[in-house]
Amino acid sequence: MDNSGYMIEMRHITKRFPGLIANDDISLGIKKGEIFALLGENGAGKSTLMSVLFGMYEPDKGEIYIRGEKVKITSPRHATQLGIGMVHQHFCLVSNYTVAENIILGSEPKKRLLGIIPKVDIKKANADIAALSEKYGLKVDPTSVISDLNVSTQQRVEILKMLYRDAEILIFDEPTAVLTPQEIEYLLDIIRGLRDVGKTVIIITHKLEEIKLVADRCAVLNRGKLVDILDVASTSTSEMARLMVGHEVSFSSDKTEANPGETVLKVENLTVKGEMGHDAVKNVSFEIHSGEIFALAGVSGNGQNELADTIAGLRDCIAGKIILNGTDITNMPIRKRIEAGVAYIPEDRHNVGLVLNFPLRDNLALKRYYKADFSKHIVMDKKALSDNGNRLITEYDIRSSHGNSTITAAMSGGNQQKAIIARELDLKTPLIIFMQPTRGLDIGAISNIHKQIIAERDRGAAVLLISLELDEIMDCADTIGVIFDGQINRIAKASELTVNEVGRFMMGVTDGGESA
Amino acid sequence: MKKVIVKLIGGGKLQMVRISLLAITAGLIFGAIVLLLIGKNPLAAYGNLLQGSGLLPKHSYAGRQNMFTDFMSFLDALTPMIFASLAVSVAMKAGLFNIGVSGMMLAAGFSAAITVGYSDLPAVIAKPLAIIIGMLAGALIGALTGWLKYRFNINEVVSSIMLNYILMYVITFFINTYYVNAVSRQSNPINDEARLTLTNVQAFDLKFNIPLAFPLAIISAVLIWFIMNRTTIGFEIKAVGLSRNAARYVGIGISKNIVLSMTISGALAGLAGITYFCGFYASIQPGVVPGMGFNAIAVALLGSCDPIGCIFSSFLITIISKGAIYMSSQQGVEIEIADLVMAIILIFAACAEFLKMYSERLSTELDDAKKKEVRSS
Repeated sequence: MDNSGYMIEMRHITKRFPGLIANDDISLGIKKGEIFALLGENGAGKSTLMSVLFGMYEPDKGEIYIRGEKVKITSPRHATQLGIGMVHQHFCLVSNYTVAENIILGSEPKKRLLGIIPKVDIKKANADIAALSEKYGLKVDPTSVISDLNVSTQQRVEILKMLYRDAEILIFDEPTAVLTPQEIEYLLDIIRGLRDVGKTVIIITHKLEEIKLVADRCAVLNRGKLVDILDVASTSTSEMARLMVGHEVSFSSDKTEANPGETVLKVENLTVKGEMGHDAVKNVSFEIHSGEIFALAGVSGNGQNELADTIAGLRDCIAGKIILNGTDITNMPIRKRIEAGVAYIPEDRHNVGLVLNFPLRDNLALKRYYKADFSKHIVMDKKALSDNGNRLITEYDIRSSHGNSTITAAMSGGNQQKAIIARELDLKTPLIIFMQPTRGLDIGAISNIHKQIIAERDRGAAVLLISLELDEIMDCADTIGVIFDGQINRIAKASELTVNEVGRFMMGVTDGGESA
Repeated sequence: MKKVIVKLIGGGKLQMVRISLLAITAGLIFGAIVLLLIGKNPLAAYGNLLQGSGLLPKHSYAGRQNMFTDFMSFLDALTPMIFASLAVSVAMKAGLFNIGVSGMMLAAGFSAAITVGYSDLPAVIAKPLAIIIGMLAGALIGALTGWLKYRFNINEVVSSIMLNYILMYVITFFINTYYVNAVSRQSNPINDEARLTLTNVQAFDLKFNIPLAFPLAIISAVLIWFIMNRTTIGFEIKAVGLSRNAARYVGIGISKNIVLSMTISGALAGLAGITYFCGFYASIQPGVVPGMGFNAIAVALLGSCDPIGCIFSSFLITIISKGAIYMSSQQGVEIEIADLVMAIILIFAACAEFLKMYSERLSTELDDAKKKEVRSS
C-alpha cells in the first residue's frame, strides 16, 4: 500500500440520498500537519463528505483509511476515539452550562468523595482547560457560562472541545460564516497555530479568500463530484472560482420577457419590529405588478422574514401601508387576507407551512377546508378532501408512500415543499410570496419550482420571490430589490444589474460601485 | 427480538390499539407476578375482578342480587369515568393538558346539588336541570382556564391544578358551613328526584341501580368522535393542537380554539362530576378532590385520546377498580394490588408515544438490514 504518507485517505466514497448523489466516487488523501480545504457551492457535497468521515453517515460505497489503517467509522463517538474532531456550523453547546462543563461533557474527569461517592472533578477540569487554552492561544474563561459568550468565543469552546479529546484531525464546517472580519483573522491565526503543532486541519468553505490565506491544498467539489485537488499557493483565486462553478449557470431558465400589468401589491413606508424589539424592516416601499417576478435579494437576517410575514399577516407593522389591488390590507386578519388573494410559501415548511402530523389530504386543503366545496355547514366531506388531494398529487407530482392519507411528516423534504406549493398555487391568487422556496432541495426539484414560479407569473400573478441564493434571484427575477439592514437600497430591472452589483448591494455598499 | 417488537407494535391504523393491548398485557403479567410472590392465584384474583364487576357469575349472592345487579352498579361507576376521560381527550387534541378535571367535577357536582339536589322539584325537571347546571359549571371553569391560557399565557397545567385547590377549599367551606350531615360528615345526601342513578329499583325479583346517564355517556363519546373527525370544529382544534404556527399561518384562530376546546372539555368534566356526585354517590365528601379526575388522564392515554378508545379503556379500568373490593375479600389480598395493576397498565399507556417511536426506529433498522442483504446477495 502506498498510502502511508497520508493521515486520512478516502477512496471511492459514494453517498446517495433519495433523489441525489451527494458524493460520487470521491477519492482524496490528506497529509499530516496540513491545512486542507474543501471548496464548493451550496449542495456540492462538502458537508456530506465530512459527515461520512465523522461517522454521521455511512457511505454506500468506498473505504476510509486513518493513519494507513482501514477503518469503518460507525458513529461520531467512534470518530472521536480515532482522534477526529469536528466543529459544526451550528454549535453543539449546552447554553446554561459553563465553558468547562461543556468541554468535559461525555468525558468528565472523576474523583471520589471520601473514596466512595463519584463526583465530577470540576476543579481539575477548569485547570486543564485553562492550561489548554493557554497552550493553543485560545482565549476563554473556563468558568463563564456559554449563553454569556459571543459567537466567536463559543466557537473557541468548540475547538477546545476537540483538543480536550486529543483530536489530531480537526474538521471545521463553514467556520467563518458567523464571524466578523476581525474574528475571522483571529480564527485563521488559531488554525495556522494548530497546524504548526502538527494537527491536521480540514476546512469546509465556499469563501475563496480564506482558502488562499490559510490552506495548503484544496479539493474542489461540484455537484457531488471531485473536480480537482489543487496546490493553493500556485493556483489563482479566479482559477479556483472557475472550477468551483464548473460551468456557466446550468439551470438558467428559458423564460420569456416579462409583461407587467396593473399594480397588484403596493407596500408603502413599511416599518416592522423584529423579535429583539429593533426595527427589522425600516421604511420599505415597493410595488409589484401582475405578471412580474419581484425578487428580493439579501443576506440572511436583513429583514426578509419580517417583511414576508407582515405582508402575509403573521406579523404586525408599526407604520406603513400594504395595499393589494387597491384595497388596504394592512390590518386585515390572516384568513381574510388569504381570501383577498395572498398566497404564501413560508420559509419554515415544517413548523409553519404544514401540520406535519396531518395526513397529506388535510394539508392540501389547509387553507380551504371550511369552504363550501369541502364542508356543508360544519360537517366535512371526506370524499371531497380525498379527491382534492388526489388531484393535486397528480397535478404537482407529489410522491408519498400511501397517497393522500400519508402522514405528512413521513414524506421527504422535497415532496413536503411540493405539497405546500401545490396548495398555495391552487388558490390562484393575484399575489404569491415565495420565501426561500428551494432551500435544501435537490437540483431537479429546484428547476421545477423555478418553472412553476415563472408559470405563475405568466398566468398574471404578481410574484414576490425572497431568496438567499443569488443564482435563484438572477435566474427568475424580472425586477430585483436588494435588502440590507431592513432597508431596500436598490430596485432595478433584472437586466440592468449584474451579479456582482447585486452582491455588493447585499453587503451594504450603496455608492461608488456603479462603474465596476 | 427486534422483529418481535416491530411485529407487536407495528405501524398502520391499529398501532395505537396494539400499544394499548400491550400495556394491558404487561400490567396483568406484572400484577400476576406480584400475586404469585405473595402466594395467591393470579387467575382466581383476576376472575374475582370480573366477578365483582358483574361480568362473571359469583359463587353465591345475597338476597335479591345476582350478576345483573353487579353489572348495573358497574355501569354506574363506568359512566363518570367515560365522561372524565373524554374531557381529558378533547383538551389533549388541542394540545392542552387538562389536569383540572377533578376540580371541574367537584364544582359541577356541588352546583347541581345546592341548586337542584336539595329542592323539591319533580324528577322530570330536576334530573335534566342537574345535568345542564353541571355541564355549565364545568364549561365555565374550562373556559376560564382556556382564557387564562390565551390572554395571559398561563400554562393550563398550573392554572388547572391551582383551580383544583381553590374549588376544593371553597366547596369544602360551604359544605362544612351550610350543608354538612352530622352523621356522615359529608354533605347532606341529595334528593332522589335529582339523582341520576335510580337506586334500589325492584323488578324481576331483584333490587338494583340504574345509571340513567350511561346512554348519554356513550352518545357523548360518539358525538365527540364525530366532532373531532368529521367537522371543521375538530379539524381546527386538531390543527391548533398539532401545530400552533401552522394553524395561525392558515388563519385559524388560536385563542378561539383554545377556549373552545377547554370549554367542551369542561362541560364533559361537568358531566363526569354530576354522574359521580349526583349519581354514583349522592353526596360530596369535603376536603378531597376525586381521584377519578387524575385517573382519567391515564385512561384517556390508554384510549389513545380517541373518544371510542376512551369507552374501552374506561371499561377496563373500571373493571379493575370496581372489582378490587370483591377480589380483596375473596383472596385476602390488599385492595392496593388492583391499584398496582392499574398503575402499571397506565404507565405503559403513557409510554405509547415512546413505544411508537421505538418501533418505527427498529423497523427502519430492519428495512436497512434487509436492503443490505439484498444488495450483497
